[in-house]
Amino acid sequence: MTTKIFKLFSIVLAAAMFLGMTACGTAAPRVLNLWYYEPPDGALGKAWAASQTQFLATHPGVTIHFELHTFEQMQATAQMFLNSSSAPDVIEINKGAANAGTFAKEGLLTDMTAEATKRGWDKILAPSIQATCLYDPKTGIQGSGNLYGVTDYGEFVMLYYNQDMFDKAGIKVPTTADDLYAAADAFVAKGITPFATAGAEYPAQQIFYMLALSKANRQFVTNYQLLKGIDFHGPEFTYGATEMATWVQKGYISKDAVNMKAQDMQNAFQAGTNPMMMGGSWLFGGLQSAKLPFKWNVELWPGNAISLGSGGNLWAIPSGSKNKDLAYDFIDITLSKPIQTLMGNDGGLPINADTTQITDPQVQQFNKLFAQLVASDGIGYYPDWPVAGYYQDLVSATQELMNGTKTPSQFLDEIAAPYNAALPK
Amino acid sequence: MQERALPQERRALEPMKKNTLSIDKGYGVFLIPGIIAFFLIIIFPFMINLGISFTTWNGIGKPIWVGLKNFQTLINDSVFWLSFKNDLILLIAMTIIPTIVGLLLATFLFDYITSNFGQSVSSFFRAGFYLPQIIPGAVAAIVWEWILQPDWGVVNYVLKAVGLSSWTHDWFGDPSTALLAVMVVLVWVQLGYPVVIFMAALQRIEPEILEAASIDGASWLQKFYYITIHLIRPEILVVVLTTSIYTLKIFGQVYVLTRGGPGNVTNVPSYYAYKNFFETQQVGYGSAISLAMAAIIIVLTVVFINMQSRQEREESV
Repeated sequence: MTTKIFKLFSIVLAAAMFLGMTACGTAAPRVLNLWYYEPPDGALGKAWAASQTQFLATHPGVTIHFELHTFEQMQATAQMFLNSSSAPDVIEINKGAANAGTFAKEGLLTDMTAEATKRGWDKILAPSIQATCLYDPKTGIQGSGNLYGVTDYGEFVMLYYNQDMFDKAGIKVPTTADDLYAAADAFVAKGITPFATAGAEYPAQQIFYMLALSKANRQFVTNYQLLKGIDFHGPEFTYGATEMATWVQKGYISKDAVNMKAQDMQNAFQAGTNPMMMGGSWLFGGLQSAKLPFKWNVELWPGNAISLGSGGNLWAIPSGSKNKDLAYDFIDITLSKPIQTLMGNDGGLPINADTTQITDPQVQQFNKLFAQLVASDGIGYYPDWPVAGYYQDLVSATQELMNGTKTPSQFLDEIAAPYNAALPK
Repeated sequence: MQERALPQERRALEPMKKNTLSIDKGYGVFLIPGIIAFFLIIIFPFMINLGISFTTWNGIGKPIWVGLKNFQTLINDSVFWLSFKNDLILLIAMTIIPTIVGLLLATFLFDYITSNFGQSVSSFFRAGFYLPQIIPGAVAAIVWEWILQPDWGVVNYVLKAVGLSSWTHDWFGDPSTALLAVMVVLVWVQLGYPVVIFMAALQRIEPEILEAASIDGASWLQKFYYITIHLIRPEILVVVLTTSIYTLKIFGQVYVLTRGGPGNVTNVPSYYAYKNFFETQQVGYGSAISLAMAAIIIVLTVVFINMQSRQEREESV
């Protein structure tokens, strides 16, 4: 009897073990849900596609469910899906207090500080680049606090110039503020509008802020960006606004650019309509692949110790992610030297590349300028960062400044109102 | 003295009464999907929007109850009133001009083109006028943006080519012409709708009435004014009502063409609500703007429907 019971028990146990093993064998593979919005043909898109390939190679049994989104989608709806159960495991989100800061404050993002230290990311991210990754969990203000995002690239705004137009006109390529004004005057005298810009999107407000930064120091930038309060009628912004209005009056920028978009600005530069453009590093890859019929190059904005720029947009891990370990691994791969070098060779601005492996001289120059700016603590961020929704306020006000419907003083009052309303009470 | 039905009559009426009731109940079932959809799609979001409009909220976390503060802000918000004024001005481009020009065009196609060149030519033009209604709004707006682009747009190009360089302009960028330029685009978009409706309406008019008027010596203008307009008044009201509602909630074209700029010169309430809701994360205030617009649209609709019913009653008397 005992033997029979023992046999029966053995059979049941064996069957249970077999079923258990079968269940293990057919367990659903783990899936890393990944969302980002960089176009696949850009430097970032190519680098991150390579990161996915490497991730799959180093994580057998894990698959990636990838969704390509757009910047505008993130800008308008990120808070909704981050706040839902359908948030992915790792996501590219827009930097700044208005986006990443708000999500961090509302507890929608994972604090990555400890993991970043463990994996050595804190050493890869330079302090001025890291500033875009740190957010105060109580206020959402950027620049200090916990690491809620990790960027793997940088960006800055610089002077793009058409070498052929300068050569043809016999004008020296500017490296100082005086050179810049001399060149602009010389082009105006020849009936050419020196700078391409666009009032309906970010480019025109960046001119205002860049001009203001030419009179600013680090303390001003910190006070402005961290919502510590600034005097909008102080020397920095007064110069920016007055000079911007003067640029329109003198014909440095066309009044016809008021309703133009950033793409129109780029088109005008590519068409050789304007010899110069204040443009971001995000335009560099596009211009390179456009194979323009003229020689062009880039310089840091002449006369500015501080220029617009920052770390790039952020990898973040939504609080609800069930695969945080995989998300950390993926971010780690994007920060690795081979991927970063690949990004550099495709015209991106990596922060951890082996620069000796970057072959294109123009890309080398581009990366050198950025390294120079970072080394000299010259990263000045962007004018719309301090306040949620400030971007549109700046667009409207800058359009009015360009049109002359608002004086520089009225313009400053207009942009001061939402900023002052957002100051911590 | 109260009249009473005779017993036989009463008996005859009873089954009829029963029948009517059972028919009503039967139809009621068919209303259920509509009622459910109405609650899910209209009433439920409307009530949520109403609730949010009494709060300050950035779209995440807990909304904070602020009572009527958003509405007080709205009353003193010059941008909202400017956007509302712009909306009223856009009524000219989207309701008044298309209705008047649409009526004249429809009459011209119906009376002149059809009788002189045949139905197919008339249909061709009718389809042509209606085409902008079929093209997606955003696509049409982008094409118009190119047409009116200051540097290489075809309008400025043609003006330069015919020696009118001084007339070239930054149509959407100059505050003095931006709203006007948007209005031109909207007239182009909107015109086909009344043309189609009015051509259908004109086919409804008995030719004998117009012939009788002709025999009586009525001119074309008299026939148009006293007979045609009078008889197609229901269609005119429908066109005016629907285009007015469409104007009040206009968003797409403004979003693509100008984003409310330069400054706020072409801002409209729907875009202003969107901007607050999604871009500046003032969800409570955005909801208050939407609610104010919904109230205005409902009032306008009730007024128009009352006018239409009154007219129908007068005509039936």
